[in-house]
Amino acid sequence: PASGQAPADPNAAPAAPAAPEAAAMPAKKEAPAPAAGGQSFSFRLDPLVIGVLDTHVDTRSAKFEEYRDVSSGFVLPYFHLAGESADGNRTLDLNAHDVRRTDARYTLDYAVAGKYELYFDYNKIPHRFGNDGHMLWTRTGDGTLEIADPTQAQIQGALAAQFAKNPAGINFSFLNGLLAPYLATARAINLGLERDRSDTRLDLGKMGPLALSIEYTHENRRGNRPFGASFGFSNATEVPEPIDYNTDGAQLAGEWRGPRGGLQVGYRYSKFANNISTLIWDNPFRATDSTDPNAYTAPGAGSINGASRGFADLAASNRANMAFANGQAKLPGGWWVNGSALYDQMKQSDPLLPYTLNTAIVGIAGNGAKFDPTNPANLPARSFDGKVGITSLTGNAGNRFGAFDLTFRYRYYDYNDKSPRLEFPGYVRFQSVWENIARISVPYSYSRQNAGAELGWQVHPTTRLALALDNESWNREFREVKKTDENVWKLSADTRPNQRFTVRGSYEHGDRTIGAYNTAAQGASFVEPEAITNLPDLRKFDEAARTYNSWKLQAQVFATDEINLSLGTTGRKDDYTKSLFGLKSDDVKAYNAEISYTPGANRDFFLFGERMDRRSLQNARQSGATPSTNPLDNWAADLKEITDTWGLGWTEKFAKAWTLDLTGNLSRSDGQARFPRPLGANPPGVGFDNYEDIKLLALLGKLDYAVTPATTVGLFYRYEKYTIDSFILQGLQNYLPGALLLNANNGNYKGSIYGLTMKHVF
Amino acid sequence: PQAPAAPTAAPAAAAGAATFVGSDVCASCHDQAAEHLAKTPHGKAAFAHLSTNGCETCHGPGSAHVANPDDKALQPRIDRLTPPEQSKICVTCHSGSEQFFWRGSRHETRGLSCITCHSVHSFKSERAQLKTATAMEQCFTCHKDTRAETWKNSHHPIREGKISCADCHNPHGTQTAKMIRGASVNEQCYTCHTEKRGPFLWEHAPVRESCLNCHTPHGSNHLKLQKTSVPYLCQQCHSNTRHPGTLYDGSTLADQARASNRIFNRACLDCHSAIHGSNHPSSPYLAH
Repeated sequence: PASGQAPADPNAAPAAPAAPEAAAMPAKKEAPAPAAGGQSFSFRLDPLVIGVLDTHVDTRSAKFEEYRDVSSGFVLPYFHLAGESADGNRTLDLNAHDVRRTDARYTLDYAVAGKYELYFDYNKIPHRFGNDGHMLWTRTGDGTLEIADPTQAQIQGALAAQFAKNPAGINFSFLNGLLAPYLATARAINLGLERDRSDTRLDLGKMGPLALSIEYTHENRRGNRPFGASFGFSNATEVPEPIDYNTDGAQLAGEWRGPRGGLQVGYRYSKFANNISTLIWDNPFRATDSTDPNAYTAPGAGSINGASRGFADLAASNRANMAFANGQAKLPGGWWVNGSALYDQMKQSDPLLPYTLNTAIVGIAGNGAKFDPTNPANLPARSFDGKVGITSLTGNAGNRFGAFDLTFRYRYYDYNDKSPRLEFPGYVRFQSVWENIARISVPYSYSRQNAGAELGWQVHPTTRLALALDNESWNREFREVKKTDENVWKLSADTRPNQRFTVRGSYEHGDRTIGAYNTAAQGASFVEPEAITNLPDLRKFDEAARTYNSWKLQAQVFATDEINLSLGTTGRKDDYTKSLFGLKSDDVKAYNAEISYTPGANRDFFLFGERMDRRSLQNARQSGATPSTNPLDNWAADLKEITDTWGLGWTEKFAKAWTLDLTGNLSRSDGQARFPRPLGANPPGVGFDNYEDIKLLALLGKLDYAVTPATTVGLFYRYEKYTIDSFILQGLQNYLPGALLLNANNGNYKGSIYGLTMKHVF
Repeated sequence: PQAPAAPTAAPAAAAGAATFVGSDVCASCHDQAAEHLAKTPHGKAAFAHLSTNGCETCHGPGSAHVANPDDKALQPRIDRLTPPEQSKICVTCHSGSEQFFWRGSRHETRGLSCITCHSVHSFKSERAQLKTATAMEQCFTCHKDTRAETWKNSHHPIREGKISCADCHNPHGTQTAKMIRGASVNEQCYTCHTEKRGPFLWEHAPVRESCLNCHTPHGSNHLKLQKTSVPYLCQQCHSNTRHPGTLYDGSTLADQARASNRIFNRACLDCHSAIHGSNHPSSPYLAH
């Protein structure tokens, strides 16, 4: 079986002849001296697996191959090449998975005993978002998506004519009819990216008292993904965001280990480079630039104006430098102490883009002077020059006093955003309108401290109880709450009264109190005082007063030497009773059970099931131009999810040479959304029953026949059925009210994979 | 600096005043185990560089067991020791690198030992000598709720084998909560999602404080590992005037006459696509 059959806590297993920890190894009385022929290498291929796949899937859903490549054809699923010098001093291991596929992985490990080890890992990770999307744009440059000028001109012309005749006629029906002929011939696009990652590491003196490691990592990310590229409230265009990222990392670290302690020090560098830092895309409804105060609502009865091109700043290139030190020591009197210190500096200095590409817009400076917002020289700075410093200090110490043990913990984490505060006289709203509202960037900073202690009591050699108290406090700058303080009590118990029974459990209670809630905090990004727009009684959940209770309980019973039972439950309930609006509660409960049956080396069976039940409740109030005070504007979102997960595995060896392996997994979620409103509220909230109803069934059957001790041939069949009924995806089309979408296929599928494999050990 | 790390610890209970007999003597009875071990790191020359006592490096001097092999009390079986005693043998050598903070770690204090997850003689994994074929399966033997989560619709490629639990967590112990490798949750996430590291001109404060304010890392029924689906996730904090506080319910879904681009496709993110931070001067509302 693919997973789940191993005992939950093998410490609890009865002494099993199959796992003889009391076994032996050949004697090596002395470190081997170089022997004659010690330089020669011998290799074995253990094993080599080759095969053929025949894959059938009934739709073009990208979900089928979201993170994998199971396309039909010849496959080399795995080989392991092991080499060793005659004197055993040098070893080489090459592991290859899914050779030459888009999800391939190769690792190489070369070691010279007592000297160094060289490790290399190359991992290709596909991530597919959708197939057969359709778009009006053509990619004409790295970050440029264009619509043919005549098309834009025709659409703009038709809009202008309708606006002149009857602005109210510019509605979804009209716009849909306008775009339909072009969408009928739109180009298809598949959305997905691939990460090609490599990791090269050299370890010197590993396992010795002094060790040094040098590591270099590199990743290319190439492809595209859906991107919300909006021109305004009625024109949210979705385009493929081009992805061309390089991430490089390097680390140099040293370690010293002594009889009473150790020290690690190191330096790490990371650089992220986005090779396509800007995206420019054409507005399907505008061929020429224009503006008016309502252009952010275009196209509609209020306006048909706006930019001919949109302009987005994609992920900014950045870099980080980190120095760290870790230490541990055994102190006199039985005390032990661990500690670490880290300083991380993150920087970003990408050039700033101009306010807009819309040449019709005129910027207005603070003194009333007009300027060209398409010229980056008119920005307050040409680059952001952001800088963050992170300081992290941690330490813990402990000792044992007879049957008791005591541990102290402390952690200080400071995120200090030292970026400059850049002040802008205004901004361009949705590429369409100059908003004469001065804004200033806000370098949010915070520090967090954790301090706690745990007292453990070894009640019995097989049972430990522990009581812990931890305090977590936050200090924030520029947010609604400056200081929060949370005390968490935790009780845990672990017992193994005999070799057949293990129980682990914990219960936690947290109580977070907060300082004054400053509803005007949003004003930090405004130069002039701004009217409060959020509900004054809303409390953002991450800085709200809260209590929570959580538990975990897992019991495992080896009923016999062959049967293992496991039962568990976890849960957590967060209550925000002092919040009138915002998140009120979040409640998750899960129950799981597993049985495994292993009567001998020839049979193995397990069945696993879990139900997870989640419910969250949040309150809100609808408002117009100012925050409403009318309770009839209230609404709530009562969101429920039930997720059932099943796993089944059965391995049977029979007639000496045959092995049958069956695996099944089923994951099924059923969600409901309800929107209760006060009596008298109009209209009532309309709930829906597809708050992400998803079902995935995956079945795998394998039959292997050992032709010789070194050769096995096998057949396998994998069946998958995936269905999704989601409120957020239901009824999607390329054009919907206010949105031109790619509408790529990431939905239902039924797939079958037939395979034939041969495994041989050379 | 290649001096042996003094691996002389032994399971004292079985050892008593016994003396070393050499691995050849062990192999004379435990031949299958010896043959298997020879293919593993503990059977290679590298191990011999660290210890000259072979099997007895871990199992302790075997003379008493050899003299009376049927006496169970004298059998140097490591699986019969207490978890701290078991781990003490391993950390004689494995006390640095990944295991640097084993002492005081959550797994250590909750009574697990090295051989809870690893096996010297009967491992199944490609690396790290785990008792199961993959790190994921090993973790799921206890963390069963996490196993179920990885089967949810939105998930990291854990069950596909492209990343592993150990890429984010160090099960041997770290100085951070949940045994994550990074100094904070965000710094852990940035190791793969470097494009979100910033800092940005326009920041979204809760994003900077913890990715887990909005995302759940092991699996979700909602897009992009969201804890709650958009738009309701956003509305837990943003109940502002006009559109943020508006109710988007069943009457506004895509196939309804009142369809709203604030609930279908990616809801709020249809426009606010730079939700993790923006460097665009015209994007204080994180729209581009």
